[in-house]
Amino acid sequence: MARPQPRYRRSFGDLSERALAFWLLVPAALLLGFIALYPVLRLFYTSLFALQLTVSPDSSFNGLTNYSQALHDPRFWNAVKNTLLIVLVTVPGALVVGLGLAMLANLPFRIKWPVRLGLLLPWALPLVFVGLIFRWFFDSQYGVVNDVLVRFGGERLLWVTNPDLAFWAICLTLIWKTSSFVALILLAGLQTIPRELYEAAKVDGASKWQEFWQITIPLLTPSILVAMIFRTIAAFQTFDVPYAMTGGGPGNATETLAMYVRVQSIENLNFGYGSALAVLMFLISMAVTLVYLRYIRGVED
Amino acid sequence: MRRVSPRLWLWIAAGIVVVNGFFPAMWIFLTSLKTEGELTRIPITYWPAHPTLQNYFKAFSEQPLERYFLNSVIVAVSATALCVFVASLAAYALARLHVPRRGLILSLLVGVSMFPTVTLMVPLFETFLALGLRNTYVALILPHAALSLPVATLTLISFFQGIPRDLESAAMVDGCTRLGALWRVVVPLAAPGVFTASILAFVNSWDEFLLALTLMPSQAMRTLPVGITFYQGEYVFPWPLISAALVVALVPVAVIIALFQERVVGGLTQGGVKG
Repeated sequence: MARPQPRYRRSFGDLSERALAFWLLVPAALLLGFIALYPVLRLFYTSLFALQLTVSPDSSFNGLTNYSQALHDPRFWNAVKNTLLIVLVTVPGALVVGLGLAMLANLPFRIKWPVRLGLLLPWALPLVFVGLIFRWFFDSQYGVVNDVLVRFGGERLLWVTNPDLAFWAICLTLIWKTSSFVALILLAGLQTIPRELYEAAKVDGASKWQEFWQITIPLLTPSILVAMIFRTIAAFQTFDVPYAMTGGGPGNATETLAMYVRVQSIENLNFGYGSALAVLMFLISMAVTLVYLRYIRGVED
Repeated sequence: MRRVSPRLWLWIAAGIVVVNGFFPAMWIFLTSLKTEGELTRIPITYWPAHPTLQNYFKAFSEQPLERYFLNSVIVAVSATALCVFVASLAAYALARLHVPRRGLILSLLVGVSMFPTVTLMVPLFETFLALGLRNTYVALILPHAALSLPVATLTLISFFQGIPRDLESAAMVDGCTRLGALWRVVVPLAAPGVFTASILAFVNSWDEFLLALTLMPSQAMRTLPVGITFYQGEYVFPWPLISAALVVALVPVAVIIALFQERVVGGLTQGGVKG
């Protein structure tokens, strides 16, 4: 180097840039290593063993037996079906409702905080509390939903005890809870669309409908994709809402993959089999994540 | 059809968003003011006939609600502090220093944030069981801190990147060490970012259920989400108590988001757009 570097006091602060960067990253690496990477490795490892604490504290290697057991386990497939149905219903549902809320919230209000709070509150409520509250809404005797149905000449529905209705009650609850997060993401996207585009469209005589499909939707696509990916990954892990509303019932009619993993590994203490189920769930989830990472890369390039 | 004035449309739009956001919280609040007799009457009443606070007293006397509250506070505050401290260090390095394979590290962070919590739950349960750490605060603080670490780090990176490098260089020329410059110049300017990351980490921890249920299940160690969910008996659902307890549990989060809404929205959508 041509210029002499200024000499600093010798102290901890006198590390080279590379060394400093290294030490600053160590705590994060340790935390994630202990809480995320090590558990995932241990999960893969345990999934290859027969280990059920209620039977014996010892484990014995049994290769892929747990996986073949999973593939022949009707309760596993039932949980897969329920989870995928929840993803297929609630992700598009939350996107449509969220887009509606975002477009309403994007109107030129003079006072912005009530609307913003209206979008934030559902996001901030714990999922399990939302499950409890909506269980009360859907209560067959004292619930608001049935009260409204009766007032409009309908009849009381057994929301929690009828398998199909329980599924729809869970989906409606999830859509309500998650659409506000979607709306916040889409609202940020809407605010980046230049107003001039709409004014130009108006000059050209475009209808509101055309504006929506020709301007709003194309320019909002990146935000929609981000919201969709976030929601898909979260919906795939659905646990709290069905746990609080139906406990997976009636029978196992609304049991999700996450709930079944917990039943096997924590309630039955069947770590081997539970781990294999969790690995299957992990692999599907990571596949979605890779697609997502590729998409983010594509946007950055 | 008569034309509706644009102003009225605005009111309707705002009304839809506000009612949609508030009705469950409002309903549970109204429920908490009703007597048990009123709650089991058909047709149901919408407005409490004789508003009473007795459910709140009962919620505290029949269950150790204050203990659940304390557990939630201890876990959420500790996890937030740990998460944001660790995230600040990492974010500074990733935003400002030459880090080999920076892109890979960022991808790993995003990847880790997508790990399903259930898949971490099984091995963490095993590990903490073996270490005798189940039903201790550490068993929940560490995972909660780790779960929010990616989003906190990504939020802080973009805040650090917004601080002009010249300020830091100037401090170093004036005799500060790099860490001195970090402490005296960068940290005060990054305070809003630290604050935003803290709120996100706090709400994440306050709301988390699955790990709290699995790693701290004993009654004395339950957090609010777990404790309140266990108010239910086998067949009876004590709605008066649950609704009052829910209101108590929701107040802190509601106050935080009401006070700092712009920051929360900024943090959330930034995380969403930047991954």
